Amino acid sequence: MAASRALLAAVALALVGAPWLVTGYQRSLLLAILADIALAVSWALFSGPTRYLSLATGAFFGAGAYATAVVGGRLAWPLPVLAGAAVGGAMALVVGALALRLRGPYFAVFTFGLAELAKHTLIWYETRVTGTVGRLLLSPPGPWTLYYTVLTLAGLAVATALLLRRSRWGYALVGIGEDEERALTLGIDTTRVKVGTFALSAAFMGAVGAAMAPRWTYLDPQVFNPLVSFQTVIMALVGGATTVVGPALGAAFLGLVSELFLLRFRYVYMLALGLTLIAVVVAFPSGLAGIGRRAPRERQG
Amino acid sequence: MSASLLFDILVTGLITGGIYALVALGLNLQYGLMRVLNVAHGEFLMLGAYVTYSLHMGWGANPLLTILVTGPAAFVAGLVLHRLLYARVLGQAEAREAIESRSLLLSFGLLFVLQNTALLVWSADLQGYSYLATPLHVLGAVFPANRVLAAGVALGLSVAFYVYLRRSLVGKAIRALMGEPEGAQLVGVNLTRLHGICFGLGVAMAAVTGSLISMLFELTPFVGLPYTVTALVVVILGGLGNVAGSLLAALLLGVVETVGVYFASSDIRLISSYAVLSLILILKPSGLFGR
Repeated sequence: MAASRALLAAVALALVGAPWLVTGYQRSLLLAILADIALAVSWALFSGPTRYLSLATGAFFGAGAYATAVVGGRLAWPLPVLAGAAVGGAMALVVGALALRLRGPYFAVFTFGLAELAKHTLIWYETRVTGTVGRLLLSPPGPWTLYYTVLTLAGLAVATALLLRRSRWGYALVGIGEDEERALTLGIDTTRVKVGTFALSAAFMGAVGAAMAPRWTYLDPQVFNPLVSFQTVIMALVGGATTVVGPALGAAFLGLVSELFLLRFRYVYMLALGLTLIAVVVAFPSGLAGIGRRAPRERQG
Repeated sequence: MSASLLFDILVTGLITGGIYALVALGLNLQYGLMRVLNVAHGEFLMLGAYVTYSLHMGWGANPLLTILVTGPAAFVAGLVLHRLLYARVLGQAEAREAIESRSLLLSFGLLFVLQNTALLVWSADLQGYSYLATPLHVLGAVFPANRVLAAGVALGLSVAFYVYLRRSLVGKAIRALMGEPEGAQLVGVNLTRLHGICFGLGVAMAAVTGSLISMLFELTPFVGLPYTVTALVVVILGGLGNVAGSLLAALLLGVVETVGVYFASSDIRLISSYAVLSLILILKPSGLFGR
């Protein structure tokens, strides 16, 4: 326990000091990976223990990013990030109250449709009502500010996930994932726990979207990208969705791969991503963290 | 509104709905029987369309006759995919919901693989050919001959499959498995084999629909997903595992959509299909004709 705590502190310290030591390109690479870590950890916050497969990450991320684009010029940093968190959280409260009665693939399909619905509605609204298809981000904050904003968000997401695991709330989530009806019988207000956690995880996603938006100087509704939803799920699953360190490691690994290959070999990268997803689902249902945990026992036996 | 306009909209709607019927039937077969929500369904449609396109452009094959190639090839591909991937996931000892979510993820993986393979092979550019683009005059209204042909074949195959399901032994076994999985296995129905056959049939239906669609529209590797969404709407509207319900819902959706496009505009189409899907999921997950 003490060793893992020391390791966590060392990683945190290294990330705080990193911008002084690396080049601008490496810093922006780290920024992207930290954003992926924040997304994957906050996704696993809800979907890990409850097993509700949410594909709404792209919708909340997009809503946060678009919120920055709308209010960005008028509010001082970091207020747009808080606005992004508020928009993401509020959207999740509504969606969660409606959709969290659905189980299994219905919920997944519903959340997937949400990002598409938001995107197409926004395109329709922007072309019909405001007459534009995109928005310019004026006077964005500097790269150092963005780096520390996203680092803070990633740190908060990991801290929340760690605290949640050992709280009554966290046990309630695991109970819901194992048998929702039994959890209800045991006196857990399942709706409140589910919707609350879903909104909390969505608030993080919205904040990350808001913090990452200034990286693009121009935003259009394509920011509601289903690829964000899938990448997040794959990152968390590759690492092991029921742990905290799993999604973070998965995000660090796949985030690096995606930054290096997505732009240059887009189709091959996406093809490999699909194959990875298939391989993980068929061969390692509990992720790479699951392999690590099981390996010693198998060696003994 | 004049009678001829009404007739025009109705027939156009039924033509659209006939094509939806065959795609949706394939999806329903997979979901109703195996609880595999195959979101890569539209990608098989896209591949079928591209194979027909290539056969037609490369060897001058008749587009309609290519379904004799795409159908059986897709059936075999479906059998192999089931054996290699889905059978393993469905066999895992886990809660039903976990398995359903996992097979959904598997389908999303397939979607990525198939779509990007198509992008590498055929590129993202629009491609198409013209076939039977002659006007057909019926009772004062004009319809493109290729659409009537495509919808006729799709609807014919759908109805033929419905009859097959009602009459044949395999069909009876499939219906038994849909209604009473444990009981069916007790009387000797081989679950895994039938799952494979149904998955293959579902993929074949998507690919054949794709072959038919390639006669009507220009293709990109992204044509699949909207059809998956439409098929989902139809299946959920008609009820899971309810074949007749699917057929009715497909025709209904085709007509409603045509009316919508006629009176509103075509860019509202995608919004409305996602909105309808969300609404049905929330209000009545068992479908319009749900038991």
